[in-house]
Amino acid sequence: MSIEISGVNKKFGDFVALQDVSLTIPTGQLTALLGPSGGGKSTLLRIIAGLENADSGTVTIEGVEATHLPAQKRNVGFVFQHYAAFKHMSVAKNVAFGLEIRKRPKDEVKDKVAELLELVHLSQFADRLPSQLSGGQRQRMALARALAVEPTVLLLDEPFGALDAKVRKELREWLRRLHDEVHVTTVFVTHDQEEALEVSDEIVVINNGIVEQIGSPDELYDKPANDFVMSFLGPVTSLGGSLIRPHDIDLHDSDGVLGAVPGVITRFTRVGFEVRLNIRTDFDDDVLVTLTRSHARGLEHGAKVWLVPNKGALTVPVMVPVA
Amino acid sequence: MAKARTHLEQAAGVRWSLRLLAVGYVFMLVAWPTGLIAKHTFADGFTALSAAFSDPDVTHAFKMTAIVALTAVVINTVFGVGISLLLTRYEFPGKRVLSALIDVPLSVSPIVVGLALVLVYNVQYGWFGPTLEENGIQVIFASPGMIMATVFVALPLVIREVVPVLQEIGDDMEQAARSLGANALQTFRRITLPSIKWAVVYGVVLSLARSIGEYGAVKVVSGNVAGKTQTATLVVEAKYQGFQQSTAYATSFVLAFAAVVCIVIVSILRPKEDHA
Repeated sequence: MSIEISGVNKKFGDFVALQDVSLTIPTGQLTALLGPSGGGKSTLLRIIAGLENADSGTVTIEGVEATHLPAQKRNVGFVFQHYAAFKHMSVAKNVAFGLEIRKRPKDEVKDKVAELLELVHLSQFADRLPSQLSGGQRQRMALARALAVEPTVLLLDEPFGALDAKVRKELREWLRRLHDEVHVTTVFVTHDQEEALEVSDEIVVINNGIVEQIGSPDELYDKPANDFVMSFLGPVTSLGGSLIRPHDIDLHDSDGVLGAVPGVITRFTRVGFEVRLNIRTDFDDDVLVTLTRSHARGLEHGAKVWLVPNKGALTVPVMVPVA
Repeated sequence: MAKARTHLEQAAGVRWSLRLLAVGYVFMLVAWPTGLIAKHTFADGFTALSAAFSDPDVTHAFKMTAIVALTAVVINTVFGVGISLLLTRYEFPGKRVLSALIDVPLSVSPIVVGLALVLVYNVQYGWFGPTLEENGIQVIFASPGMIMATVFVALPLVIREVVPVLQEIGDDMEQAARSLGANALQTFRRITLPSIKWAVVYGVVLSLARSIGEYGAVKVVSGNVAGKTQTATLVVEAKYQGFQQSTAYATSFVLAFAAVVCIVIVSILRPKEDHA
């Protein structure tokens, strides 16, 4: 097993960032640490990298006890949200940095840098300075720089967080393909559930300094351990005291189904291919239902409908009132 | 339309009068008096300059100034960069006190600095003076004291240039270097130093100008002995009082010229930073 974290605690003053966190991150996979901002996921990543020290607990990387190893001896690649490009060095020099520190022969460094720049599609920018690159290019450079030292694990801290939506989407698809090529154990932090669901093999949901659930994207989506995981992984609405996905509710125009809840459409919004309906029932003021356009035909503001969770729909009892 | 134009004309009027005021202010306070020094120096061509440089007191004073200023600048640069790193990269109790203490030399009169050093290091009753004297080290009325006084007055200059830059660049690059295997020294040499290079150069030039020009503190600790512990600024005063005005003007001119050269060199080098 690649990275073993056991009983890690971390406080910043009075703020508890991590509380008794234990988990195992498997070798060769792409694992996402997913959770809201300030939930402790970045702190955990920095503890794995040695950029932060845990107050207690241990970190083992590929069987090596690393808890007290300084960052430069852990052989991890780290990619920062804001790139952390070495501004005074060319792209090629940035990528070569780790190898030059390791005093590799010049020819070897040159070949390796060329190979990595090829991999991240930056060959023609080798002699540019980071300031002459776009955000996406800078982040690919940072990734090549981290990969150059052939790290045991690659750690990415919100790697696409500073990029605009389109580039972010391209880069995460590219990261997935890159991982399928390189197969280095990769952990990345994100607060974007779509990013985590799309890219990773395994997701660790972290909130308020504790691990809420660990599992594959499908497991998490289909069998969330609690209402937090369910509401964090996708849109939810509450119907009759349970959380349910808005697309898991069927609408009927007459009271023909057992257990159907009557309601009135209070708002009808079309967003591209889908239709979002806000419905008021006797129990819930505002139930959100999403339908495809064809299913929404004939519905309009003020119409009376009957709501039924569709077959096999996942519902989780509400423990915390959902605003 | 007419109204808009009057607004524009008014704005132009304000701009021109502000410009005139600023230029006039700097001219009256800085350019004209400094220019007069040059005028007096070259009143008889180069005779005043050559006379000054053939006076052994003056040449020795310039040598003292060079030794004291350069040593003080080296010390202030090394400690300045070190303290800047300490202030920006580490958390420790008393950090705010340290930061406040660093500004003390800006607010305390150099005369007071000189007297304070005399109190601590004088040979008769100073705290360390007698002990150092027994070991053959004389601080007061000798170059160590003069260097200490100069270091004191120029202490904040490098730090106040470097700290904002260190804060601005953040520690992301340094952490990236560490995670790539660089140790503290390699990180400093390859990452931190190139990033703060210009701030250090600026701080060094300011310190150098301040150190060359220091008068009060050095006068108190040096004893002001001609040909021994007299620096260029002290020689200016001595010559001026001793009715050797032309030598005083010539020496002053060299001091002012050195300062201007420093500033010119930096302003020539500085713009390259934008392209680098």
